[in-house]
Amino acid sequence: MPSELRTEAMARAPGESFAGELLSATGIDKFFGSMQALKGVDIALRPGEVHALVGANGAGKSTLSRILCGHIIPDAGEIRIRSRLMRFASPREALAAGVAMVTQETTLAPDLPVIENIFLPRMALPGRLSRRDLARDAEAIIADLGIALSFSLFDRVGDLSIAERQLVEVLKAVAGNPDIVFFDEPTTSLSPYESERLFGMLAILAGRGKAIVLVSHRMEEIFQISDRISVLQEGRIVGSGIESRKLSPGSLINLMVGKELSDVYAHHLSGRVAAGARPILRVANLRADPLVKDVSFEIAPGEILGLGGLVGAGRSETAEAIYGLRPPEAGSIELLGQPFRPRSAIEALRAGIGFVGEDRRRQGIVPDLSVMENLLLSQLGLHRGFRWSAETAGAHAVKIARSLGLPPQRLADPNLLLFSGGMQQKIIIARALSTDPRLLLLDEPTRGVDIETRSTIYKVMRERANQGLAVLWISSDFEELLGICDRVIVISDGRSVADLACRALDVEKLMMFAAPKTSSNVLSVLLEQLASRFAGTAFWVYLDEPRVYCFDSATASGAAALLERGTVLTLDQLPFGAALRASEEVFTSDAEGRHSILTVSLATKRGHYFGHFGVAIPAGTILPPQAEIVGMVRGAMENL
Amino acid sequence: MSEPIIEANQRRRRKRFEFRLEIRMLFLTLILLVVLSLSSKYFLTYNNIMNVLDQSVVVGILAVGQTAVVLTGGIDLSVGALLGFGGMVLALSGSSIGFMPSLLLGVLAGGAAGGINGLLVVKARIAPFIVTLGMLSVARSVTYIASGAASITDLPPALIQIATGTILGVPIDIVFLAVLYVAAWWYFGYTKGGRTIYAIGSNAEAARIAGLAIERYTIAVYVVSGVLATLAAAFMAGRIRAVDPTSGTGLELDSIAAVVIGGASLFGGRGSMIGTLFGVIIMVCIRNGLNLMGIDPYWQGTAVGCIIVAAVAGERLLSGSKAG
Repeated sequence: MPSELRTEAMARAPGESFAGELLSATGIDKFFGSMQALKGVDIALRPGEVHALVGANGAGKSTLSRILCGHIIPDAGEIRIRSRLMRFASPREALAAGVAMVTQETTLAPDLPVIENIFLPRMALPGRLSRRDLARDAEAIIADLGIALSFSLFDRVGDLSIAERQLVEVLKAVAGNPDIVFFDEPTTSLSPYESERLFGMLAILAGRGKAIVLVSHRMEEIFQISDRISVLQEGRIVGSGIESRKLSPGSLINLMVGKELSDVYAHHLSGRVAAGARPILRVANLRADPLVKDVSFEIAPGEILGLGGLVGAGRSETAEAIYGLRPPEAGSIELLGQPFRPRSAIEALRAGIGFVGEDRRRQGIVPDLSVMENLLLSQLGLHRGFRWSAETAGAHAVKIARSLGLPPQRLADPNLLLFSGGMQQKIIIARALSTDPRLLLLDEPTRGVDIETRSTIYKVMRERANQGLAVLWISSDFEELLGICDRVIVISDGRSVADLACRALDVEKLMMFAAPKTSSNVLSVLLEQLASRFAGTAFWVYLDEPRVYCFDSATASGAAALLERGTVLTLDQLPFGAALRASEEVFTSDAEGRHSILTVSLATKRGHYFGHFGVAIPAGTILPPQAEIVGMVRGAMENL
Repeated sequence: MSEPIIEANQRRRRKRFEFRLEIRMLFLTLILLVVLSLSSKYFLTYNNIMNVLDQSVVVGILAVGQTAVVLTGGIDLSVGALLGFGGMVLALSGSSIGFMPSLLLGVLAGGAAGGINGLLVVKARIAPFIVTLGMLSVARSVTYIASGAASITDLPPALIQIATGTILGVPIDIVFLAVLYVAAWWYFGYTKGGRTIYAIGSNAEAARIAGLAIERYTIAVYVVSGVLATLAAAFMAGRIRAVDPTSGTGLELDSIAAVVIGGASLFGGRGSMIGTLFGVIIMVCIRNGLNLMGIDPYWQGTAVGCIIVAAVAGERLLSGSKAG
C-alpha cells in the first residue's frame, strides 16, 4: 500500500492513544455572506463504521464534509483527529492527516490517463516517475477492494463514463491510504448495480478499520449500509451518531425536515388533469446527439410530468432540445398540435415555453446585471421594439416574484450573487413565469436551495399547474419526482423506457427502471440469449404485491411479446401471476394454458432482493432443462 | 458473461489508437509532403531539405516553450519580442565581454522577462494573454531604445562559428533542435514535472487539491519560454550575421500556430511535443513550398492563414474533441 502520504503526516504518530474516535469536531460554524450554513455542529467518527450524514437539500451536509476535508475553512469550532487538534488550511493537509473525499463534482484531470489521476498527489513527491510501479500499486488497490475494472488504467479519464470516473475518484481517494473517507452523494449518477458495488467497497474499507462517511438523502441506501446516522437540519445537528437500527425511515424523515415542514409535498393532491385534455406538447422519437437517442412523451395542460433518470442519461438535453438550445437530428416535437422546430431559445420563448436550466450560475444568472435586470431578462428577449422600459415591463414580473415570497425591497439590490441559493432560484423561476408560458421546463429546480424555498416552489408550481400550466420537471431526487409529479417518464441511456403513474412507484423501483442498459449489460445480454434460444420471452420483473414491475424484457423474433419493458401490472392482470408468486424454479403452465413459465428469484451478493428472472415459452414446445436456466441466471448474478 | 464490457473496452482502445494525435499529424504531414513534392521538383532536393530544416530551427525552438505554456492553459505572446530583446542583449554585450558571457547574460535577460510574465500570471492573477501582450510591447520598445533602432553586425566570431558549424556533417542548430525535442518529449511524457504541467492545464483545482506545486510550475514554463527565445535569437543571429531590433516580430504567432496545428488545446492539458514538431514542420514546409511554387509573397500570408485554420478544423473534426 503506498504510504508516502502517511510519512509526511506528522499528525499521525503511531501508537498515540485516542478515545475511540478517529475524528471529532465540535462547535463548527460557517457563514456564507450573511447566511449561516452551519450552526455549532458537533460530529464524531469511529473507526470501522459507516456513518451516514443525512439531511435535506441545503441542510449543510456538503458544507460540513468539505470543512472536515479541508476544502473550506470553518469560521469557528475545533477539529480533532485521534484527539489532536487540527487546522486544515488546504485539502492537502487534510489528506496528509488521513482524511480523503470522493466528491460529487469530479476532481479528476480529464486529459490524463486513469493511472496518473489515481496517483496525482505522488507527482509532487521527489523521485522518478515509473508507470510500472504506479500500475502495480493500482492493481494492488483494485484487488484489495475486490473489484474488476471495465476500463484500462491507461485510458484517458475524459473518455470514461460518469460511473467509471467515479470509480477512479474512489481509487484516487483510497490510494492515499486514508483513515477517513467521505463520500458525497456518491450514488446520484450510479445505477443500482454500480451502487451495490460501491457499497461493497465501503463495507470492505470499514472492515479495515477506516471511518466511512456517506453523505446522502436516499433512505434505502442509508438504512442498507450505515451503522450510525447523524442528521443535519438547516445547519444544525438534530441527531448525532444515532445507531441506524434504532431509527425507522419515518422517524429519520421527521428529524431531517422537522415537524413544521414535514410534508413539503402537501399541495400535491390538489392537482388533477382533465381527462382527455389535448396535450400541449408531444415529443416523438426525439434524437439529439450525442445523449438523446429516442425520447417520446406527451404532456397535457395542468400536468406536472417528471423526467427521471441518472445524471448523464439525457434528461437535460431533452429539455434543451425542446427549448431550441440543441437542434434535434430526428424525431418530431408538436406544440398544441402544430409541428414545432425551434432553432433558438427566443423562438421557444415566443411560442410560450419557459426554461430554468440546471446550472444556475451558468444558465441562470447574469452576474453583472442587477437583481431587477436579472428578473426581467426574458422580457428583454420577448420585447420586439427598440426602446425598452423596465418600469412598464417590470410590474408583472415583480408581482410574480412576490408570489414566490421575495421581498420587493430586495429586488433593488445591485448584485444577485449575494443572494442565497434559494433566493437566486426564486428570481430565475419568477423570470421564467413572467413570460406567461404554457409549458415550463424545470431542470433540477431545487438543487442547492433551502427547504423552505423548495416548499414554496412546489406550492407555486402546483398552483400554476392547476391554472393550466404544463410543467416538465427534471430531478435526480427521485423522492421529489414522486412527491410532486403526476407521471414520470424514465430516461435511460437517452431513451424513454417507461411512462408511469407516480402513485404506483417508489424510489427503489424508479431507480431500477432508470438503470441504463449499458450497466446492466450482463442481465440484458442474458435476456436476449434466453429469449432467442427458447424462442420465447425472457423478462426481469420485480414483485411487490400486488404489483409487478417489468424492468426489462426480451422477445425472440417472431414470438408474441408477453411483457414490455417499463410496464407496471398487478399480479391478477398477469396470466402467470400465480407462478411468479410461488417461484419454485420449475416450469408451470399459465392460467390460459398458452405458455410454460419458469421464474427464478434474484438476490445480490449482499442478500438484497433484486427481482425475478423469468422465461416464458409457447405451450407445446419441449421444455428445456430447468437446472441449466437457473444456473445461467445465478451465474449472471454472480458476475454483476 | 463480461464479454460486452470487454468489447466496449477494446472498441475504446482501438479508437484511441486509430485517432491518436501523433498518428493523425503524421498523416497530415505526409499528405502535405507528397503534395509539395509533386508540385515542385526542387522540394525533395538535399539543399532544399536542409533549407527547410534551417528555417524550422527558430520557430521550432520557440514552439517548445510555447507548448509548455499552452499545456498549462496559458499563452505566451511575448516570445517574438523576447527573441529580439534577448538577441539584442547578446549582441550589445558580445563585443566587450565575449561570446559565452554574453550568451549567459542574454539567457538571464530572457529568463528574467519570462519570470516576470509568470509572476504576474500567478501572483497578480492577470490573464496570460494580457501579461504577455504587455511584455511584448515593453520588450520590443526596450530593444529599440537599447539598439538605437539600428542593426548590430559586430557579433562575436564564436557565435557565428557555432551557429553555422556542423557536428559529423550535421548543422549544429539542427542537432540542437533534435536534442531539445527529444528532451522535451521525455520530460513532458515521462517525468513527474511534465505530468504536473498537464494536470495543471487539465484541471487546476484537482492539481491544487493533490498538493502539486502549481505556482512554481506555472512560473517555470514562462521562464523556459523566455530562455528558449534567447537561444533561438542566438541561432538566428549566427545565421544572418546580425541582430536587428525588429527580429522575431510576428514569430509569437507562428509558434502559437505550430502548437495549435500540433493538436494542443488552448484551454490546456492537451498537446504533445511530437504534435508540435509536426506543427512546426507543416508551417515551415507550407512557406517553403509556396516560395518554390513562385507564389507572390503577399499572397502567402493568405494561403498560410487558410491552411492553419483548415488544418486545425480538420484535426478537430477527426478527433471530435473540444475546440482549441
